[in-house]
Amino acid sequence: MAGQTDLNSGSVSGNSSRDDVRTHFTTREGVYKLIPLAEYSRANRLSGYTTIQNQQGAALGQGSNPPVRVTFVSLPSDPAGFCDRICFNYGRELYFYTYKGIKKPADLSKPVDKRIYKGTSPTCHDINKLTISSESVMLLVGFTGGQIQLVDPIRKEIGKLYNEERIIEKTKVTCIKWLPGSPNLFLVSHVSGQMYLYSEDVTCGGPVPPTYQLFKQGAGFSVWTCKAKSTRNPIYRWVIGNGAINDFAFSPCSKYLAIVSQDGCLRVLNYDAMELVGLATSFFGGLLCVCWSPDGQLVVAGGEDDLVTVWSFQQKRIVARGQGHRSWITVVAFDPFTTLYSSQNSSSKSSKEGADTVSSNGIGGCEDELETKSADIATCYRLGSIAMDTQLCLWELTDDVLKQPYGSRSRASMVSGPGSPPTSLKFAGQTPTTGDRNSSNTLTVAPINATIATSIVSNSTATTPVNTAGSLTQRLASLTFSERKAGQDPDLKSHRKNFSLGSGKNSSEKSTANSSASKSASSAPSSVQSQSLVTGCADPLRLIGTQACPRLDEIPMLEPLVCKKVSHERLTALIFREDCLITACQDGIVCTWARPMGPSPHHTSNSTPTNEGTMV
Amino acid sequence: MVQTYLEEFDNYMQQDAHEFLNFLINHISEIITAERHQLNNSATPTTNGKVTASKEPHNGSTSLKFDGSSGSTTSTGNQESTWVHEIFQGILTSETRCLNCETVSNKEEDFFDLQVDVDQNTSITHCLRTFSSTETLCTDNKFKCDVCSSYQEAQKCMRVKKLPLILALHLKRFKYVEQYNRHIKVSHRVVFPLELRLFNTSEECPDRLYDLVAVVVHCGSGPNRGHYISIVKSHDFWLLFDDDIVDKIDPSALEDFYGLTSDVQKASETGYILFYQSRDTS
Repeated sequence: MAGQTDLNSGSVSGNSSRDDVRTHFTTREGVYKLIPLAEYSRANRLSGYTTIQNQQGAALGQGSNPPVRVTFVSLPSDPAGFCDRICFNYGRELYFYTYKGIKKPADLSKPVDKRIYKGTSPTCHDINKLTISSESVMLLVGFTGGQIQLVDPIRKEIGKLYNEERIIEKTKVTCIKWLPGSPNLFLVSHVSGQMYLYSEDVTCGGPVPPTYQLFKQGAGFSVWTCKAKSTRNPIYRWVIGNGAINDFAFSPCSKYLAIVSQDGCLRVLNYDAMELVGLATSFFGGLLCVCWSPDGQLVVAGGEDDLVTVWSFQQKRIVARGQGHRSWITVVAFDPFTTLYSSQNSSSKSSKEGADTVSSNGIGGCEDELETKSADIATCYRLGSIAMDTQLCLWELTDDVLKQPYGSRSRASMVSGPGSPPTSLKFAGQTPTTGDRNSSNTLTVAPINATIATSIVSNSTATTPVNTAGSLTQRLASLTFSERKAGQDPDLKSHRKNFSLGSGKNSSEKSTANSSASKSASSAPSSVQSQSLVTGCADPLRLIGTQACPRLDEIPMLEPLVCKKVSHERLTALIFREDCLITACQDGIVCTWARPMGPSPHHTSNSTPTNEGTMV
Repeated sequence: MVQTYLEEFDNYMQQDAHEFLNFLINHISEIITAERHQLNNSATPTTNGKVTASKEPHNGSTSLKFDGSSGSTTSTGNQESTWVHEIFQGILTSETRCLNCETVSNKEEDFFDLQVDVDQNTSITHCLRTFSSTETLCTDNKFKCDVCSSYQEAQKCMRVKKLPLILALHLKRFKYVEQYNRHIKVSHRVVFPLELRLFNTSEECPDRLYDLVAVVVHCGSGPNRGHYISIVKSHDFWLLFDDDIVDKIDPSALEDFYGLTSDVQKASETGYILFYQSRDTS
């Protein structure tokens, strides 16, 4: 690192103090400190080597190296007492070290395993959580050439290869993950926009290219099976959207899969049913990363619009955006350890247990139930994001912001005259959009709209008083984040209404109309978005100004709690652990940041009582 | 062809791509305007048939245009509107608030491209945001307030009032550095997406979604020499034009032209002028 600083001193960019690389930063819970002794990198890196490597690397187009990604695993036991292992890729190399935490120095001279590949570079990796033992782990590695390798870095076994001859797929692997709860199935996404399900113990069919048969078709995606006499890989082929699939993530309940693509779309699928349940788009440009909140309520994506996009699973819409990065966002991740939960029955529950409770609930269906049940619902989420701007941002997503009604501009007509006429106008205005896009779908859409309309009419008496509160909130929605806190009161009213009724009759929001519509319209995908879902149309010109892609003034724009430059190079990995957080950057250095010492900061935030007040 | 029109380009000197673009746009509009006048005044023919580029500043033989704090490529005065204007011209509005009397004054300015400063490891979105960030005019750069009738400290903010059909973004990669007593090339890594919206528009400005359609790339280590190549999207293919060699490239190869993350002086191939086309026009 020292070598790089020297280089930068001759910089022409007029670096201000703001641009200095931080070794610590402060949040409400205390000071996070960089632990220099817990820095992991390629084996036996000489001092000053980074500098040379950097110069050469840049000249050779280091920028084209795959991003450095990090995978952690905790073994059941270890003779020396260090159970954690860290795996990361750098260039054509892959390292597997014992991770000794924040107290003990990293021993870079003795990697557990180290691999250097020829002609192809590792891009991503994942370890099967189900089959871990002290003697063996199943590490999957995806490569730039599209190949996949299964290795055991502890036994040092050269594992099986999949798509070795690149017959199934030729483009770069962008994300690879074991199916949650499966000992042998894994999912691999590629730059081609295709995603394959492989079985670890099944052949790839040798030199015979697979023949596919359409299995299921949905809006903007299709699923194909492999036609063969005996079972062979790939088990399924998914074709999703337009352009590269950049990242995907399973929900904590394992039932749903969030996928982000270069076409700017966030798609949320019911994985087993192979159905699209949600669609949203970036403000512009591709989405590069995605993650789920620990309770499965929020999906967050980041990408080429430099924005963090927050999508609510329950409301099926974008509820907020975050602006703080100066370049493309490469990783978003929730911090489950500082996310605050409103736990009515047991406020002493640790957040980790909380997350588990919810995920077990989620198997019965992530929707609706969670909100009305007295399960642990997060009231203040902590989110982290990193970007190509070398900055780390931490965000707080509070209840009052996430529950704000949609749209300040588009809903103007509804405010002026509460009741059914403006509402029906609104929906009437949206129907043609679907109609002219694909007239064959009009039939499917029409019943849904009808249900929405009727349910609103029946609710119209109840909505009248609440609308006033809604309009107040709207006015506040145009204020900044800090100012908005003053506007909690009107907001709360609508919440109480919402909760007491239990069936989601709140301030005549679209979302409410949707949820009630979905209840009456049985299995119809709940949301006004269903129209875009039905057609699968992700045309940004049509989606802008809708709940799938609100205009900037239609939803809250958050500012980061913390925004610090923590590296000289583009950041590529971010992981939250119980006692630290981990960042990695393009030049192959993995840093450990110790969390502040002292009691954990649960249920001390001002937002917790707020929520308890709401849930009378 | 251009050589025959303007002596400035009638030589083998190194030329700046942005300066050339500036010249070309202005020149075309002048030709069109002149032709129109000729038609209108056919009864009284003028000798103005041959267009001279007298309006162009002849600033000697400098090969590159070093934009200090000079504004955007503005059209000269109240020109007639031509198709060049319809395609490239947008309107900037600069809002200046006098810190003494609090009076806000607006000044509108036509532009053919936006010239943005580049920072290391940023996106073009961020550069555009910086372009519109509020600037305080003080010390030597005070604002002459008409209300106060004196030079006062003021806050200035530039916003786009009208977005053009084709948005040309000029990255200011050539800067004078006192430390070296010369101009150097800034090879900072600035990423540009295939799809772009602007954040820095004024309220009355209708939103536009842009697609990247062309990039002018400067290759070389310094401002006084080097080579230009251009990348153009044609019928959904990306083509790289390097003199007489044309290659089809993958859009992911655009990554090679974002710039360098280390600040060492060396040859680089960096995006210099970006052309974004409004989606609703194509």
